Parts: sequence; structure tokens; C-alpha cells
Amino acid sequence: MKTTVDARGLACPQPVLLAKKALQENAEVTVLVDDDIAVENISRLAAKMACSFSMTRKEGGIREIELVRTGASLSSPLEDETLTRELTCAVAPKKEEAPFVIVLSDNRMGRGDDVLGDVLIRGFIHTLGQLKPLPDTIICYNAGVKLAVKDSTVLDDLQQLAEAGVDILVCGTCVNYFGLGEQIAVGHISNMYDILETMAGAGRLVRP
Amino acid sequence: MEAPPYAVFLFPSVSHTLKAEKILKEQGIVHKLIPVPRHLSSDCGVCLRVLAEQQERVRKSLQDRVIWEKTVPL
Repeated sequence: MKTTVDARGLACPQPVLLAKKALQENAEVTVLVDDDIAVENISRLAAKMACSFSMTRKEGGIREIELVRTGASLSSPLEDETLTRELTCAVAPKKEEAPFVIVLSDNRMGRGDDVLGDVLIRGFIHTLGQLKPLPDTIICYNAGVKLAVKDSTVLDDLQQLAEAGVDILVCGTCVNYFGLGEQIAVGHISNMYDILETMAGAGRLVRP
Repeated sequence: MEAPPYAVFLFPSVSHTLKAEKILKEQGIVHKLIPVPRHLSSDCGVCLRVLAEQQERVRKSLQDRVIWEKTVPL
């Protein structure tokens, strides 16, 4: 059987997945794509699935790929699954970096001396505003929420960070525990779901 | 909006800086404790930033109560 897959305009991994599906049902498949990433991915698919591969450039940036199965088809669903995982976006555009998160778990920096810890955290948050790139998110929990109150010595720094687009999550449980409900002056009250998800999804997590 | 002109007071130690900060707090003078800017050098690493126009008032407040190394416009 012979079929044609039109994968023009589709983003990775759609073209390679469509090509793979077509190859499982047909011995000869023609795939139309319009970018080199898809071509590269499909050529890898061809190698993995024992298919011949030939590509011709057509008008309008279209690449016509001919795939003809030369070997046996995939044997087990397990192999099939592995293959899909390997091929998916094997050659994909570089993804945006995972989020950069700062965790303020205390209103002081480091342990040992509270007065010094207060001096240090003020310096840390002030300097954070000059860091490039800025963090994506700042999470305040436990005594860290005290940094976000009205009379905090770092309120202006945190406000500038918020204005610059930094998302500031303030632990609601902690605000409640310390009775600071009316005092929070920057960021938004958050919960453990968002806090954990943000921490778990961080590319870099910095805790002063 | 451009940042207003500031001046920083550099002190010989962190405790001098904290003592000075306490005085400014008592007198209601707007200030900020910040790390010493990179282009300046100080052993203690932190300094007090005040509005440039407040510089004289700060000098007077600190005079005879705490010593400072120098003031630098920022």
C-alpha cells in the first residue's frame, strides 16, 4: 500500500509521528514537510524503521520525502514505544530555558547570626535587581514572607522586581500563621500546589 | 523614570554601618543599607545609601556618634 502524508506547517513532533503511523500501515509513504527539522527527524525514523529515504526539494520550500520499507516492521509494542520516545523532537529547536527560581525561606540569609543574616538578605535582594537575567519567580515561605510586608526593608527592591516581571509567590499558610494577612505589600498569595509545581519545574533554584 | 541622585556612606565595619543605620532610623532619614557598589571598595561590604540632597543632614546626625570612612556620590 502507498500513501501520502501532508505534514506541511506542522511543528515537531507531528510530522515524524504522522510519518511513523503511515509507515506502520503502508510499505511506501510520501511525506510533505516544509522544514529541515522534520526532514532530519524523518530520516532518523527511516533508519530506525528499516526504510529507504530520499528527499526532493520542491517549490515553495516544500520537501517531498519518499520512504519505502525494506525490512521487517516493528516487532513489539515496547520497541515501538522506545522508538517514539527517541524520535520525538530528536532534532528540535532549542527550548526556552527552564525557569530560574529564587526561594526565600527565611527573612535572613544563612545561619549563625540573626543580625548579620538580616544585613545579608537585604544586600542579596537589593543585588538581585541587578542580576541578568532576572529570576522568573521568587517564592517566599516560612519567615521569608516577612520580607514582603509593608514595612519590610526590602519592599522597594521586591516591588521593582515585580514591576520588572518577576512573579512573586507568597505562601498563604505562612502569612496566616504569622498573622500578616493585611500586611503583605508585594507579590500574590499562593498555595503549596503552585509553590511545589514552581519548585519542581525550575531549571535553577537558588536559596540564599 | 531616572533614579534620583544618591550618596553612599562607607563605614569601617558592619557594626559601624548598623549603628549609623539605627541613628538614621531614629531621625526618620530615608536610607537604604546596600552592598558596597563594585567600583568602590570597603572591607565591610555594606554601606548606607541616602538621597544626595540629604547628605548634609546625615553627616550632622552621624557626627560625633559614629565614624565613617568616606561618602561617595552614586
